[in-house]
Amino acid sequence: MTRLDPQPGERIDRDRELSFEFDGKPVRALEGDTIASALYAGGRRIFSRSFKYHRPRGLLCCAGQCPNCLVSVDGDPGVRACTEPAREGMRVRHLNAVPSLDRDAMRAVDTLGGPFTPPGFYYKTFKRPRRLWPLYERVLRRAAGLGRAPEPRDERGWRTDYRRRHADVLVVGGGRAGLAAATRAAQLGADVVLADEGPEPGGRLLERGSAERARELAAGARDAGVELISPGTAIGLFDGLAAIWEHDTLHQVRAARHLIATGTIEQPLVFPGNDLPGVMLSRGARRLLALYALSPGRRAVVATTSDEGLEAANALREAGVEIAAVADLRQGTTVVEAGGRRRVRAAVLARVDDAGNPVAGTRQTVGCDLLVVSGGAAPAGSLLLQAGGRTEYDPASAAFAVVDVPDGLHAAGEVAGVPDGDAIELSGALAGADAAHAAGCGDARSRELAEEPRRELDRLASTPPPVAEPPAAAGSGRGKCFACLCEDVTAKDVHTSIEEGYDSIELSKRYLTVTMGPCQGRMCQLPAARLIARETGQQLESVGTTTARPPWSSVPLGALAGRPIEPAKRSVLHAHHRELGGNVMWAGDWRRPYDYGDPDAEVRAVQEAAGLIDVSTLGKLIVSGPDAGEFLDRLYPNRHGNLKPGRIRYGVLVSDAGRIIDDGTICRLDDDSFYVTTTSTGAEAIEAWFAWWLADWTDLRVTLTDVTQALCAVNLAGPRAREIMGRLTSLDCSNEEFSYLDGKRARVAGVPCLLLRIGFVGELGYEIHYPVAHGQHLWDSIMDAGRERGITAFGLEPQRVLRLHKMHILVGQDTDSESDPVASAMPWIIKLDKEQDFIGRWALEEFAEHDPALRLVGFELRNGAVPHEGAAVVASGDGAVGRVTSSRYSRVAGHAIGLAWVPRDQAEDGAAIEISDRGTRMTATVTTKPFYDPDGERLRS
Amino acid sequence: MSFEFLEPDRAAPEMGFEPVPASVLLPQARQAGGRIDVRDGWEVAVEFGSSEREREACAAGVGIGDVSWLGKLELQGEPADVAAVAAAGGAKEIELGRASRGGDAWWCPFSGRRVLAVCEPSRAPGLRNELVAAERGAMTVTDMTCALAALALVGPLARDVFARLTAIDLRPDHTPEASFRPGSVARIPGMVLRERGDRYVLMFGSAYAQYMWTQVTDAAEPLGGVIVGADALAAVGEEVPAGA
Amino acid sequence: MSFVLTCPNCGAREVTDFEFGGEVVPRPRERPAERDLAVYNYFRRNVAGVQREWWYHRAGCRTWFQADRDTRTNVVQGTWLPRDDA
Repeated sequence: MTRLDPQPGERIDRDRELSFEFDGKPVRALEGDTIASALYAGGRRIFSRSFKYHRPRGLLCCAGQCPNCLVSVDGDPGVRACTEPAREGMRVRHLNAVPSLDRDAMRAVDTLGGPFTPPGFYYKTFKRPRRLWPLYERVLRRAAGLGRAPEPRDERGWRTDYRRRHADVLVVGGGRAGLAAATRAAQLGADVVLADEGPEPGGRLLERGSAERARELAAGARDAGVELISPGTAIGLFDGLAAIWEHDTLHQVRAARHLIATGTIEQPLVFPGNDLPGVMLSRGARRLLALYALSPGRRAVVATTSDEGLEAANALREAGVEIAAVADLRQGTTVVEAGGRRRVRAAVLARVDDAGNPVAGTRQTVGCDLLVVSGGAAPAGSLLLQAGGRTEYDPASAAFAVVDVPDGLHAAGEVAGVPDGDAIELSGALAGADAAHAAGCGDARSRELAEEPRRELDRLASTPPPVAEPPAAAGSGRGKCFACLCEDVTAKDVHTSIEEGYDSIELSKRYLTVTMGPCQGRMCQLPAARLIARETGQQLESVGTTTARPPWSSVPLGALAGRPIEPAKRSVLHAHHRELGGNVMWAGDWRRPYDYGDPDAEVRAVQEAAGLIDVSTLGKLIVSGPDAGEFLDRLYPNRHGNLKPGRIRYGVLVSDAGRIIDDGTICRLDDDSFYVTTTSTGAEAIEAWFAWWLADWTDLRVTLTDVTQALCAVNLAGPRAREIMGRLTSLDCSNEEFSYLDGKRARVAGVPCLLLRIGFVGELGYEIHYPVAHGQHLWDSIMDAGRERGITAFGLEPQRVLRLHKMHILVGQDTDSESDPVASAMPWIIKLDKEQDFIGRWALEEFAEHDPALRLVGFELRNGAVPHEGAAVVASGDGAVGRVTSSRYSRVAGHAIGLAWVPRDQAEDGAAIEISDRGTRMTATVTTKPFYDPDGERLRS
Repeated sequence: MSFEFLEPDRAAPEMGFEPVPASVLLPQARQAGGRIDVRDGWEVAVEFGSSEREREACAAGVGIGDVSWLGKLELQGEPADVAAVAAAGGAKEIELGRASRGGDAWWCPFSGRRVLAVCEPSRAPGLRNELVAAERGAMTVTDMTCALAALALVGPLARDVFARLTAIDLRPDHTPEASFRPGSVARIPGMVLRERGDRYVLMFGSAYAQYMWTQVTDAAEPLGGVIVGADALAAVGEEVPAGA
Repeated sequence: MSFVLTCPNCGAREVTDFEFGGEVVPRPRERPAERDLAVYNYFRRNVAGVQREWWYHRAGCRTWFQADRDTRTNVVQGTWLPRDDA
C-alpha cells in the first residue's frame, strides 16, 4: 500500500488492517478506510463502467455525490464505494461491465459511436418488429443499468426499522454551520437532532485537514444535548417530516423547525474527456489526501473558476504532488480537453472565448496523471426547494442560489450563500437561535442577544470571493463532453434534444434523463442548464432548474419499506382453525378459513346434520339510548323503531344517492338498545357512517359502541342444531319458545351469550355471540356436543355455496357502488310509506318511479358448465348487456346456479339468457325464487 | 345498563362446563414458551423461563408482557353524566390527554363523551356494578375487556420500541406520567397509557392480537427486548403509584 | 403528503391517523328537486383554497370533527367538534 506520512485528522488506523474481497480478489485495507480508499491505495483507478457507453470511470467527488464508484456489496447494488466503510470479509463487486471493469466488451458501444448513441435511441430503434421486443428488452436490460436487483430474501432476512423522532429543531448538515446551529439551539433549550451524511461530522473541515476542529464542534454539540445521526442522509422533506436514512434505520423526524446547512456541491467542468479516470474534483482530491493519506496522483494539472482550485493546488503540492500547471478561468484559461484512453494522460489548456472555444495559438498540452477540476460551488438546496423554496441564478457565485426560504425552515452556511470563512459559524449560530426561538425556546434576552451578530454577519457576507462563469462546454466541439455522468448524457445530446423540440429544462430532463440518475442533479443540473441556455440563447435565469423532489439521495427500496407491516385481523379462534386444517385466506382485512379441506362435504354436513362456522368477523354495534330507534329509522329504509325487544329484522343501508352500502341484522335487546350486525368488510366503515350521522344529528340521545372485536360469533346451523343446543344450555330452544328471528340471552356451556335465530345458509341456525375470552371453550364445547351428531366445521366457501342456494345477495360481490335495492331484487326492504325521512329516501323515491334497466336475478344452467364470475350476459348481438356475479355448482340441483344482472325484460322466471364465458356461449334460465327450500320451511323449522 | 354477554366474568360452571376466560394472546405466549396458569381467574402466561431475568429486563432494558385481561369499562354519554358516573367509580378528574388514577382504576378519556376505565381483573366486576348503579341520563356502561388486547411495555427502552411503531410524541415533556394517548400504532388504532416512569400499557383491538404481538416483539428484538410473564409484571408493579 | 392535523380530542397527529370525510355539505332539510338532489349527492366545489371538511379520527378517539384546510398547502387553520359549533 502507498500511504503518505500521517496527515492531521486522517481517519485510518495504521495499526489495524483488515481485508475484503473485490471481484473475487482480496483487498487489504486499514480500519477507517472506505471501499474506494482501500482500492485506490491498492492502485485501482477504474471504479465503474458508465451507464450507456461503458466508459471507464474513476473517483470524482469522494463524497457520495456522483455515480462514479457505485458497486455492489454482499449482493446489494448501488453502494457508493467512496463513503461505504470497508469491513472485514465484505464481498464487493463492480456493476455493469462484462467480463470485468478493466476489459469491458461493451465498450464497443462507445467506440463505434455515431448511430448507436443519440438520445432516445432505444425507443426509436427497437420498437420494430414488435414481436422481437422481449428479446431486445433482455439484451438492453443487461447492457444498461446500474447493477442487478438483489435476490429475494426471507421476509425478515433484511430489515430496516422506522424510527420516529419528534424534535424542536432538526439540523441537516453537520459542517461548521450545522454544528454551530445545533449547539446554539440546544443551548437555548431546544430538543435538537442533527443529521450529517459524512463519515463523521465536520463537513469541509475534514477535507482541509481540520478534523480536530470538527471534532471539537461535534463534541460541543453533543455536550449541549444534540442527538447526532451520523452518518445519516436526509433524503427528503415531506410536509415537515424529514426522512433520514442511517444504515438499517429510517429516521422519520417531525421537527417544529428545520434548519438546512447542507453546504455546497463542487461542480465539474464540461470539456471533451471530462469523465476520464484521473479527472477529479478538487474537494475529492483533498478528501483522499486528508482522510485516507492517499496521494491522488503524481503530476497534476489544476483547472478552476475560483480560489478553491488554488487552495487544492497548494494542499497537493504540500503533500508532494507535482503541480504541472494551473488554469484559472478568471485569468481566461481553462482546460479544453483531457487526453488518454483508460485514464487521463494529458490536459490541453487554452484561453477560451465566452462560448468556450479555444483561442487560436493558445493551446498547450501538459502531461499529467491527475486533472483537478473546480467549476464553482452550487448550493445543496434540494430540501429547501422541496419545501417550497425557489432558485434564482446568481452570477456572482456562478450558481443557482436558493431564495425565499419557506416558512418553518431556516438556512445557514454556504447553502444560504454565506461565503466561506468566519461568517459560516456565525450564520449557523444565528440560524440556530432563530430556529430555537421560533420553536418557542429562549427568552426576550436571548432574542435580543441575537441581533448584534446579525449585523456582523451582514458585514462579513457583503464581499463574496470572485468566481468565473465557466462556458457551457469548453473545447473545439470534437469528443464527448459529459453533462451528466449518471446517464451518459453529452453536450451533443442536449443539442439534439433541443433540435427535436425538447427545449425546456423539464422536457429535456424527461427526454434525456439528465438529473434523474443516482446523483439526482448534483453534478448535472447546472451543466445541463448552461447547455440549454447556450443552445436556446436564453439567460440561465430563464432556463431555471428542475423541480426538486425526493429522494435527494438514492437509497435502497428496502430502507423505505421498513419491516413487513401488514395489519391483519384474526378471530380469537384463528390458531385453532389452523389446527383443524383450515385453509386460511384474506377476507377484507381478516384472515379466515376458506374451508377445512373438503367444501363439498362441509356443505352436505350443514344440509344434512350440522355445521359450525366462525363468523366473528361480522361487524357488531350496540346502538343505545332513548332515541336509538329513531336513529335507526333515519338510517335504514325499513322500520326498526317498532321492533319488539327480543326480535330481529334484516336491514340494508343505502347512501343518500340510494346506493347499497351494507346489510346486516338488527336485534332489539331492550327498549333502549339495539344490537346491529354489519358485513365483515363493512364493519369499520359502517361504524364511521353511524358516527358521522350522529355527529350531525345532535338532537339525538344515542350512544354507539363498536363491540366487533369483543365478541366471538359462531353460527351453528343444520337440522340437528337444536339437539346440539340442548346439550349446551338450559334455554328452551323449541321452535315455539325460540322461533326464527328471535334474539335471546342465555348461558351456553356456562358462557354468557347473545343468541340470534338467524342464518343465511338456509337451515335451522343459531348465531351465538359471546366474549372472545371464552372463544375456544365454547367452540370446543359445541363441537364436542355435536360430534356424535355429525357436526363439521365449515369455512367461507361452503357458506358462500349455501348462501347462494338461498339467493342471498352478497354486498360487494353481487352489488357494486351503483347498485340500489330496487334493482337488487329487494324492493320489499324499502318502506316509502314510512312517515319520516331517512337516508336515501329521496333517491329511492326516484328509483321506484322507473323500471331499472338491469335487475339482479338467479339463473340455472343445465349444460354441465359453471360460468366464471364476471362472465358477460349478452344480447342477441354481441354486446354485453349484463354480467354474472356469483356462480357455483349445486350438488342438490345437479347443475350450476348463480346470480346475474340481466336486462329488465329478461328478469322474469323462465326467461332465457345468453352467457358468454371466455369464448363459450351458453343459455341459462332465469329464476327469481331461491334455489333451495324456496319457502323457508327448513329455516323456520 | 350493561350487557352480560360482553362480560367474561359472568361465565359460570353449568351443565358440567367450567369456562375460564383466557387472554387472546395465549396462543402467542404459548408459542414463545410461556408457562400458562390461572391468575385472578384468567388463564395467562405467568413466566417465560426466568422471572428474575424478566424483572431485570423491565429494570434495565425493556420487558413486554401480555396484560389483555385488564378490566376495561367504557362510559358513554353527555359529558356531565359521564363525569358524574366516573366520579362514582372513584375518578377524581376527567381531563383530555390525562389518565387519572382513582378507585383502583385508570380513567382514560377519548373525549368528554367517552371514557375508558382500566383496572385489575379482580376490580372489574365491582367497578362495573358501581358504575351501572350510578348511571344517569342517556348513558351506557359497556364492558370492553374483551374488545381490547393489551401489552405492557416496561423499562428504559420502552420508548425506543414505541418510536419504531408509532408517530405519537411520547417524549417525557409531551407525554408526562399518567397520560393517555389514542392514535395509530403499527398502522392500526391504538391507545398508549403511560402509567408512570417507564411503564406503558398499549391497548388495541383484540382481533389484532397476533399482529401486534409480532410487531412489538419484532421492533423490540434489536433493542434486546424480553417477553415477560404476569408474575414478573406483578413484581415490577409492586411499587404501586402514589395515587392508587 | 404527511401533514399534521390537530384532533380536538387527542391533539396533534399525523394525517395518516385520520379518514377524510370530504367537504362539509349540509343535508337538505326538505326533499330537494331532482337536480338539487344530484348536486347534493354528486357535486363538490373542489376549491383551490380553504375549504371546510369532515375528518374522522379513525385510529384514535373515533370522533368526527371539522377542519378548515387550505387544499393548496395542507395548512389546517382550525379544527373543532361539530357539537361545539352548534
